Amino acid sequence: MIPFISVLSRLAACLLFSPFLLGVIGKTKAFFAGRKGPPLLQPYYDILKLIQKGSVYSVTTTWIFRAAPLIFFATTLIASFLIPFGGLKAPVQFWGDALLFTYLFGLGRFFIILAAMDTGSSFEGMGASREAIFSCLSEIVLFLNFAALAVLSKSFSLSQMIGESWWASWTVSGPSLILVGASYFMILLVENSRIPIDDPATHLELTMIHEVMVLDHSGPDLAFILHGAAIKLFVQGSFFVTLLIPFQSHNRIIDATVFLAAMIGLAVIIGIVESVMARLRLNRIPSFITGAFVLALFGLIIAIMRVL
Amino acid sequence: MRLFLLSLEILAFSAVLVLFLDRFRKLCHFVFVASLVAACSLNFFVSFPFLRGGETSIFRIPWSVPFGEFTIGLDPLSAFFLMTIGCVALASGIYGCGYLQEHHEKKNLGVHYFFYLLLITLLLVVVTARNAVLFLTAWELMTIIGYFLVTFYDEKKSVREAGYLYLIVTHCGTFCLLVMFALMGQAASSMDFDQMALAHYAPGLTGLLFILGLVGFGAKAGFFPIHIWLPHAHPAAPSHVSALFSGFVIKTGIYGLLRLIFIIKDLPAWSGPVVLAIGGVSGVFGVLYALGQHEIKKLLAYHSIENIGIIALGIGIGLLGNASGHESIALIGYAGGLLHVLNHAVFKSLLFLSAGSVIRSTGTGEIDAMGGLLKFLPFTGHLFLIGSLSICGLPLFNGFISEWLVYRALFDGVIHLDKFGIIMAVMAAVSLALIGGLAAICFAKAFSVIFLGQNRSHRQDIYKENPCMMWGPMMFLAAICVWIGLFPKTIVSFAFASAHFLIAAKPVAAQTEFLLQPILSTTKVLYIFLLVLGLLVLCRALLARRYPERRVGTWACGYPSLTTRIQYTASSFAEPVLRLFKWMVCFQVQRSEKSRINLPEELELSSKVVDMPEHFVFRPILAMLRRFSGMLLKLQSGHIPQYLFYMLLGLIALLLWKFPWRA
Repeated sequence: MIPFISVLSRLAACLLFSPFLLGVIGKTKAFFAGRKGPPLLQPYYDILKLIQKGSVYSVTTTWIFRAAPLIFFATTLIASFLIPFGGLKAPVQFWGDALLFTYLFGLGRFFIILAAMDTGSSFEGMGASREAIFSCLSEIVLFLNFAALAVLSKSFSLSQMIGESWWASWTVSGPSLILVGASYFMILLVENSRIPIDDPATHLELTMIHEVMVLDHSGPDLAFILHGAAIKLFVQGSFFVTLLIPFQSHNRIIDATVFLAAMIGLAVIIGIVESVMARLRLNRIPSFITGAFVLALFGLIIAIMRVL
Repeated sequence: MRLFLLSLEILAFSAVLVLFLDRFRKLCHFVFVASLVAACSLNFFVSFPFLRGGETSIFRIPWSVPFGEFTIGLDPLSAFFLMTIGCVALASGIYGCGYLQEHHEKKNLGVHYFFYLLLITLLLVVVTARNAVLFLTAWELMTIIGYFLVTFYDEKKSVREAGYLYLIVTHCGTFCLLVMFALMGQAASSMDFDQMALAHYAPGLTGLLFILGLVGFGAKAGFFPIHIWLPHAHPAAPSHVSALFSGFVIKTGIYGLLRLIFIIKDLPAWSGPVVLAIGGVSGVFGVLYALGQHEIKKLLAYHSIENIGIIALGIGIGLLGNASGHESIALIGYAGGLLHVLNHAVFKSLLFLSAGSVIRSTGTGEIDAMGGLLKFLPFTGHLFLIGSLSICGLPLFNGFISEWLVYRALFDGVIHLDKFGIIMAVMAAVSLALIGGLAAICFAKAFSVIFLGQNRSHRQDIYKENPCMMWGPMMFLAAICVWIGLFPKTIVSFAFASAHFLIAAKPVAAQTEFLLQPILSTTKVLYIFLLVLGLLVLCRALLARRYPERRVGTWACGYPSLTTRIQYTASSFAEPVLRLFKWMVCFQVQRSEKSRINLPEELELSSKVVDMPEHFVFRPILAMLRRFSGMLLKLQSGHIPQYLFYMLLGLIALLLWKFPWRA
């Protein structure tokens, strides 16, 4: 019975809480810009409204265009089953689940890219091509982060890599963890198409990455993509938060509260980054990812030095 | 063993039979297909008991060749490759019958089928031979017969050149193998593999043997930078032959390497890191060059180099684990490499066969001239999609399972090995991640530009789907992809059986459980994924019923309509990646302007990548060789008096040498 409740509360957190993060980011940006901004629950209103609309499909498209949002949504949801957060153990944990975690996102992304190309529009092709290369680069950094965590925790299962007894580790391998955390945060921005990589709210299609890919999606399809993106932010953010909170009280309520507060804190930080930074030029983005790569590499080197 | 010999006999006998049956077209096809089905199913039947942990079995007949003996043996390693040949040969052969039908008037198909069946026979002998002389004979014959298959369209100059390049490179490889086996035979004083395995080699000698083996077998397998024949030979050959080549013939190189590793137990310590480095370099360069190709079969050929790289990564970490005494790392690494041999054979032949189907329907191999073919060629399109998802290593399909094993071996290496080992394993894991990501880009490009969007050619007639003789075998291969992807238990345990054999360890039940369990948990998550996806599809269908949908043209950002020329092409899709790695692939963009009177200039923009080892290393060397050998041409002028003069000179020299006054 307990695992059942745990899975249910995990699903509830993913499905219901994730759009709130987008609302928090929006509110933070509005605060910095001196505006009142949309209400905190605006992403929920958007999703609800979109679900109640009919879709418009281009005559060029095939079934791939319709299937992609569902596959994207399902992959992000399933990926959330693999990480522990907020005092909830991961329902599925095994040696090597970190790979499945990464490759599930890869599967979703592959179909979103195909769907973008399916429309036959050059804008969407442009977005697809950019998303493909930047996410490929960020995947390398992610694997380097995994390697550092694997060296530190002597394990290749996400639940042991980020979840357990980090208080002891922080005292021993703090420097390495800080570097890995910083590098992971940069990758988080890349993967979730936030400023300084990509601006979800810009008005010019030519400079967009993720948003331009989903130009032709409408109605419930767009709702699935929006909600899927929110879950992706939640899942990848909770990886970050669980990694950095060296604290577990084993009291469900305290753990959950601390976790949710930390997630909101993360959203505020992302909002601040978005407010104080300008979007990078497209050809500067590889340098940004290289920066993350170097941080991860140093994290790994320190980890190897500490452990051996 | 008897059944295996029977399958060899069936193949050889029907090979001769089809040679004479060319007149009777139907009968010829029937004999060809029937013999393939019979031999391949016999092979499956033969190989399974060995993969379930059977004992090695050997068959010997004396042979009049010096040092040679017709020795054939079956063990888990050979059995794994036999199974792989079975899948590829069967599917490509049947497909070939459909593919070549249009050539029946012009070409003698009997000869082609004869070579095809003979090649399969020789492939079977190569992976089972237990005597170096027999192995080399079969290896050499396989190379030559491969040449005849590749040059099917011998009226084209490019095809003849590609075949010639193939012969040169693989013969250089064979030369290394000859030296290697001679040295081994000398040390073991026998040409028998079993004797060689028992012999002791001096520490310096093992290093030399290993390098010779790497070059010799690597030339066949297509390790970077001696891969240069692959991107020429694969596009030149008919598609089913490319499928067989990419699917299995290049894997004989991997087989040879594994057999060498099995024979020489105490390899030098640097062998693992070297193979890892070769794997990483082959993989990354293979996929980068593939990104720059816009001819479908050439693109696939470069992907073969990439996948050979992944296999080498598995073998490399296996060697490293074995050398450092971590048995489980060695097992997982070898099993990952072996499973990738099978998986690559299956999905790459699937891709080559569907590429052939596309080429047959459209009459071109240029990706940028296609588009929107999924609507015209539904079978081909969806099968190509399955092949693409498999080769990218995405979950639900077989590529994921083998890449997962290789990753796991590498990460286990990161956790358990010493400092140097960790650095090697991390570099390999990072390059594998890069390879995976770039392969996904490349196949997103290939699939979407060929099959999605609008058609780019100006053809008015509709493309026709090819006969079921062609998509039937492709279905078979696609089914294997999905089967291994969703229910990998059997095949993975087969791969582990071969890996156990390779490191000469006895499988322990508890250990097998430890090795297999994570991959089974992975598939369980995938089942949940499929369940969730099904529920979502149901939800979506209900929503669609409630709220009506409309179909209009693609949104053109306010402009009246999109033309097919506006679509993103393969070149533009790959441009950001190639620009990023341009120092590695020599990416060149050329602009030319033609000025026209009273009109804006007409602009032309073209981009290409240059295969660096081929153009900057091998072609100059070959040109130099030709210059030197050209000097020898003066000796052979074709004038008979000159030859008579040579004979006179020779006679005088002989006389001087044997003249009595010397004695």
